[in-house]
Amino acid sequence: MSAVLDLSNVRKTYGALNALDGLDLTLPDNAYVALLGPSGSGKTTLLRVIAGFETPDAGSLTFKGNRIEGVAPHRRDIGFVFQNFALFPHLSVAKNIAFGLEHRDIDPVTDPKILHTRVKDMVALVGLDGLEERAVTQISGGQRQRVALARTLITEPSLVLLDEPLGALDANLRGRMRLELRAIRERCGVTFLHVTGSESEALAMGDLVLVLDQGKIAQAADADTVYNQPKSPAVARFLNCYNLFDGTLSGNGFVNPLATFPLGGAIPRQSGQPGYAIRYDRIAVRPLDEAVANDEVRLEATFVADEYSGAAINSFFALDDGRVFEVESHLSQTVPAALQPQSRYALVWKRDDALVYA
Amino acid sequence: MNSSGTKFALGVYTSLFLVFLYAPMVVLGILSFQTGPEGGPQFPIIEWSTYWYQHLFGFTPPSRIAPLPINEALFRSLVLSVMTMIVSTVLGVSSAQAFRRKFRGSGVAFYLIVLGMMVPGVLVGLGMALVANVLGIDRHWWGTAFVLHVVYTYPFAFLVMLAILNRFDPSVEEAAWSLGVSPIRTFRKITFPLIFPGVLSAMLFAFTLSYDEFSRTLFASGRDLTLPLAIYGTFSVEVHPNVFAFGVLTTIFSFALLGVYAALMTLSIRRAKRIAIQEEA
Amino acid sequence: MTIIAETASRAPPAVAAKKVSDKTLWLLAPGLLWMLLFLVVPMLMMVYVSFWTQTTFKISPILTVQSWVTFFTSETYLSALWTTVRIWLIVLVTTLLVGYPAALYVGLFVRNKTTQTVLLVFCVIPFWTSFLIRVLAWRPMLGKEGAINLILQALGIINTPIEVLLFSELSVIIGMTQIYCVFMVGPIAFMMGRIDQSVIEAAQDMGAGFWRIFRTIILPLTMPGVVVGAIFVSVMVLGEFATAAALSGRKVNLLGNIIVTQVGSLKWAFAAVVGVVLTILMGIVVAALLRVVDLRKAL
Repeated sequence: MSAVLDLSNVRKTYGALNALDGLDLTLPDNAYVALLGPSGSGKTTLLRVIAGFETPDAGSLTFKGNRIEGVAPHRRDIGFVFQNFALFPHLSVAKNIAFGLEHRDIDPVTDPKILHTRVKDMVALVGLDGLEERAVTQISGGQRQRVALARTLITEPSLVLLDEPLGALDANLRGRMRLELRAIRERCGVTFLHVTGSESEALAMGDLVLVLDQGKIAQAADADTVYNQPKSPAVARFLNCYNLFDGTLSGNGFVNPLATFPLGGAIPRQSGQPGYAIRYDRIAVRPLDEAVANDEVRLEATFVADEYSGAAINSFFALDDGRVFEVESHLSQTVPAALQPQSRYALVWKRDDALVYA
Repeated sequence: MNSSGTKFALGVYTSLFLVFLYAPMVVLGILSFQTGPEGGPQFPIIEWSTYWYQHLFGFTPPSRIAPLPINEALFRSLVLSVMTMIVSTVLGVSSAQAFRRKFRGSGVAFYLIVLGMMVPGVLVGLGMALVANVLGIDRHWWGTAFVLHVVYTYPFAFLVMLAILNRFDPSVEEAAWSLGVSPIRTFRKITFPLIFPGVLSAMLFAFTLSYDEFSRTLFASGRDLTLPLAIYGTFSVEVHPNVFAFGVLTTIFSFALLGVYAALMTLSIRRAKRIAIQEEA
Repeated sequence: MTIIAETASRAPPAVAAKKVSDKTLWLLAPGLLWMLLFLVVPMLMMVYVSFWTQTTFKISPILTVQSWVTFFTSETYLSALWTTVRIWLIVLVTTLLVGYPAALYVGLFVRNKTTQTVLLVFCVIPFWTSFLIRVLAWRPMLGKEGAINLILQALGIINTPIEVLLFSELSVIIGMTQIYCVFMVGPIAFMMGRIDQSVIEAAQDMGAGFWRIFRTIILPLTMPGVVVGAIFVSVMVLGEFATAAALSGRKVNLLGNIIVTQVGSLKWAFAAVVGVVLTILMGIVVAALLRVVDLRKAL
């Protein structure tokens, strides 16, 4: 896979805020890339810099082998799908889709027949048949999403940036659009850079998942690697499926104010920030008096409440320092015993299941 | 507020206030139907007639009362207002467009523009007359007076457009750029159609303000009269009901203009409303 | 700088203060250039010419303070200055007195938004007709055989017509009050509309009477509106000459009228001196009004 976009040491500051702090990034050709970042991590700024709406303070952007820092947005050949869709409210669906082809600077399509055919093909591709003459204010949210996408794809950009494209849709539609977006991208063979604040969306959609933290790419890997081996405590936190502890490494243990966790055989990962992470679904809840095996770690906590989500139950415990500790029990494996609120339990996990950062 | 006595008193007062605002115009309208040429600009109405309206258009036999010089003045005023409207709207739109990005010195630039509507006409008019005099330029309604009209109306157009563009979603323009459409074409095809109601308001403001302007014109226009100057000329002489008839006609013209504007606005608002309703459904 | 940083962090895209970009410059340049050439230059020229030497029909660029000395030693000019200040003060007070109760009613007592809008529109409509015609319309109202005298006589209130109604200082004040009070009503009614009704209701519940509520709540809260209205009225009245020309029969000479006559007789340097005096007067008045209320805080 060759690279379509390459960012090197890109910086962008707003006053005292470092939105992008020396960011490096490489996007492969013909791939679905998901960019996960919490709000304030600079993800919108990154997209806007790539699209050319913002000028970076420093760094280089190479797109298909050419430097594009000084190139105007309309000369970049990079599509952009906005969170609010930003459709042209005074034009019909068909006119919205045709707009780019008809009015673009380079190689506009002026022949109405060709234009009509291209629009028709695109309408079919995104599944908007029969809505061509509607006003864009007369269609549903999901349909608007398709118009926004069709309008961009028809100009055949080499890269499409999607800024939280599913954020404005309701939950049902979001699930369906996930599949559709992937399918549409595969048919077009371009690279999608899909920005989202939802870890499940990022993991479900990205061939490659990037995690953005404090203006830098904290991890770039496939979904499985990101999920199972987050590169730093910060990445683990964004994934929303790890209990995290701050502390220090000392000999063969991880020392934190609550307890010292004995370590397994794995070598601690270097991340610059010491930390200890254990996945929600790798923890067993036992009565206080049950024995602990040699390769296990044990921590006591007070049960607070649980939440049933169909396939699993998430139980919430209060640690002795007041923080919340979460345990996920998949119902297909074992049906856990009912827990008594305000009672204390032992939380136990295997030493080797924990991720230790140095 | 729930003190019915005070409320009633203030209500009566407000009605009297409105009478105060409207009475002179009503009286002027009534007296414009005085008979002529012997009927004067006062009560009682000797006989109802449209003599003075005919007098305005030169349909009456010559009498000792000279007709108002309105033919050419009307033409000049209309041309001047249209010129002013176009230039000040273009300037207003482009300046307001510039103010969409924050830039250093924006405060100074803002006050410089707004100063144009604050400084009284007598001062700028005098200043422009002095400049023309010192530089040896002839003063004309289409030259020195025109530029002052723009100085006066451009701030209004600017403020109207600023208010409109403040509510404009810039991502629509960015979307067009990202489709490969140049900023200029984007402005023509996307931005302009969307801000058009605002442009219409700015044009209306500029036209009417310019059409009615006289203090700047008085100093800067030289010999040829515009309509307001023709009326101003009657101030120092005896007034006849023909001026009243003229006043009624210009008022009707102003309202006709307002009517056209209101119709155009209602059309675009109705369209917007229809869209909003469908959106909810 | 901290303010800029704060704004930037709240809304990152496109808000940070920047150097003037090329595009901004090109969009702004024509308008600013226009204002510089046709507003700033004429005003500066006025100051400059006020120091030129005035002969009977000509001015020459020999710098002198002669015209200034003439202004401040001449009875006519000084009395025009005094008349201007007097009329300005009187009209300021009359527009406030006439306009405030109407604004109070429209802004506070009329609860229905539609009625409120309709009333305000009714106040603004006369503004839509020609200014000069509206001034002129006072002549058949105020004259010896005018509408007011006729009505008063018919009602038996007076026997002989009041002659002082027209072609006097009174007629100028009446005319200006009617024309400019709208600019007082608007801002005050706007501030009235922003008063939280529940504050007034709470005061009423505690047994406060109307006057007490008015003095302690309504008046202080509408002061910014009064100041804005006063600025509008002041700038317009100080720059006036047409109303005096139409309604005073040359008995009232404002600084504006002096400028018109001087220009008419080609006394450019004198006219310029009067213009500069008027500009300074206006500057002082606006600055003083802005001192009364900190508009930025109030609005």
